[in-house]
Amino acid sequence: MKKKSKFIPIINRIKLYLAVSIAKTITFLVRSLGFGAASVLPGAIARRIEPKLLQFLSQQVKKGVILIAGTNGKTTTALLLCTILENKGFKIAHNSTGANLENGLATALIENTNLMGYLNVDYAILEVDENIVPKVLQPLQPNLIICLNLFRDQLDRYGEVDTISKKWTRAISTLPRETVVIANADDPTLSYLGQQLHQRVLFFGLSEPENYLDSIPHAVDSIYCPRCGDPLDYQGVYLSHLGDFTCPSCGFNKSQPLLLSGEWSQILVGLYNKYNTLAAVTAAQELGIDEPTIKNSIDNFQAAFGRAEDLLVSGKKVRILLSKNPVGTNETIRVVTQSQDKTTLLVLNDRIPDGTDVSWIWDVDTEKLVERGGTLIVSGDRLYDMALRLRYSQSSLDSKIRLIVEEDLQQAIKIALENTPHHETLHILPTYSAMLEVRGILTGRKIL
Amino acid sequence: MEIIIGWLYPKLMSTYGDRGNVITLQRRSQWRGYNVTVLPLDQNSTPQDIKSVDVIVGGGAQDRQQEIVMRDLQGAKAEAIKDKIEQGTPGVFTCGSPQLLGHYYEPALGKRIQGLGILDLVSVHPGETSKRCIGNLVIEVTASRLARELQAMTGIKPYLVGFENHGGRTKLGTVEPLGRVVYGLGNNGEDGTEGAFYQNAIATYSHGPLLPKNPFVADWLIVTALKLKYQQEFELSPLDDTLALQGRESMFNRLKLTSSLVINE
Repeated sequence: MKKKSKFIPIINRIKLYLAVSIAKTITFLVRSLGFGAASVLPGAIARRIEPKLLQFLSQQVKKGVILIAGTNGKTTTALLLCTILENKGFKIAHNSTGANLENGLATALIENTNLMGYLNVDYAILEVDENIVPKVLQPLQPNLIICLNLFRDQLDRYGEVDTISKKWTRAISTLPRETVVIANADDPTLSYLGQQLHQRVLFFGLSEPENYLDSIPHAVDSIYCPRCGDPLDYQGVYLSHLGDFTCPSCGFNKSQPLLLSGEWSQILVGLYNKYNTLAAVTAAQELGIDEPTIKNSIDNFQAAFGRAEDLLVSGKKVRILLSKNPVGTNETIRVVTQSQDKTTLLVLNDRIPDGTDVSWIWDVDTEKLVERGGTLIVSGDRLYDMALRLRYSQSSLDSKIRLIVEEDLQQAIKIALENTPHHETLHILPTYSAMLEVRGILTGRKIL
Repeated sequence: MEIIIGWLYPKLMSTYGDRGNVITLQRRSQWRGYNVTVLPLDQNSTPQDIKSVDVIVGGGAQDRQQEIVMRDLQGAKAEAIKDKIEQGTPGVFTCGSPQLLGHYYEPALGKRIQGLGILDLVSVHPGETSKRCIGNLVIEVTASRLARELQAMTGIKPYLVGFENHGGRTKLGTVEPLGRVVYGLGNNGEDGTEGAFYQNAIATYSHGPLLPKNPFVADWLIVTALKLKYQQEFELSPLDDTLALQGRESMFNRLKLTSSLVINE
């Protein structure tokens, strides 16, 4: 990877010093007073003092800045890539709490500086919210950008998938030729994005027709050719609109992935984690990491909090599967229905990090969860919306499920645990803020 | 008894969980023993398909999708939709589809999209930088015949609970508004109106989707469809709507709307 200029003018050096030392003091105070992990506030204040903080810190990263963008899978992919690089002895800065707006990125970088604002890491791995990608590319000057997928998410904050991909393409085009882009070949929008760039683009994707879905799920955004706008022909879909496609009108085609997906094992459960694995592996190979280290890291991988995370709570197994949008939730439901376990807790919140619009639950195929029976417990700010979604998933009034509606989350968790037999796993499907709450209750520790 | 639900462009116009309206109509009919068919009305449909449906559901779309729809909805197909609505076929149209039933929609970027001109209203997006109208929405139904019929079904003044999420602002011409905004922004955030009501077509910005938390509106659509189809009176068997009532109550409390005022007036 190419080294960048580390020059910082003296006046900015002083401001950087101030910004960093104040940020570090805040982090110390917040944490020692037990108010949480302080993953946003320090960066926010530091950026007020030195607005060019992101640029000055990222240019000090020794070997490379890696951005990870996409609707689903950022945290898991980042964590796997981190693990691989750490296993090779590299020092990494990573916004590991999932705080992925500018202040969260700043906080993660500040974590790894000394009080003078000198950053001492080999790599920075930064998960970036899809909407701020265009804003942070110039200050961060990433060496490598991973584009995971683009699904419909948080409609209240973002425009449309089309608009976002156009903005990404435009912004990435302004970066130097040496920038490497790793894009999902199975996502038509991103395949097209990769094909338009003048930089080096590597693709990842699946080549496993045995894992095609029976039909295209309803929660699908991109079935139209990103180039000409006519409907795409799908040979098969793996999840949502990710699959093997061609455009009969203009000849637009899926790009060729670098790796053969069948030759790689995956982390965690669910096909979506296969994508995350392949993205991280493609990146690691590009960074020159040897295959044994990569494979070893995959085999010994631990989940990021709330993403297919397994916990043991008073002798019962609990699996938390973050479920924050239609595509993600269809996939977490697939994980539940492929297990033998019959108790599931769904927690639906409508706070800012979740998106205040919860109508997306009607785009989820909850019918698949309800058809198999069992006990479903619902809680969260919008529990009645979720309860109605589940009720309307039943074609007959003789219910196959036992539906328990409990406003108090602590109580809901208790009921869910009581209803889970000892040999089974309780699956919890929470939105983002709900996941933090659930974990807080289960582990007695709060994360901010 | 059979009900055919016509669903406008499911793949293009279902951005915001609007499928929930279809599911609610479908289930509430099925649970009462009626046969239900959900018929997509899209590029592959004929004007004859459109004529065959008993109730119409239309959802919201992204701007590009809305354009594709309007390119397809021309000539005989456009006439068929127009005739259906004029003849009193009930329907619920959310977000993008009322814009499409109006005279035109001007997106933030790009050209004006001509509508079908069935509803006397126009919609304009005030520009990329303007704020979207997002948030919980409560309205009192004021469209006089609908309000009367809903009140006759439930015994109480009809309030609708929903969620709005739209960039476009709608201005009504001569068409009657669906209701007045109790909480939220509605058609344009200025004149206090929300939605429109014409013949038996309900147009609204209230998605969420609309029907699960307002089951009496779903039942009104079903009963109106059956009456028109079979030319006789219908009494629907009651269903257990406890969850919807709890959901409404919880939203009224959260928005600090005196629920006694809203529910038992």
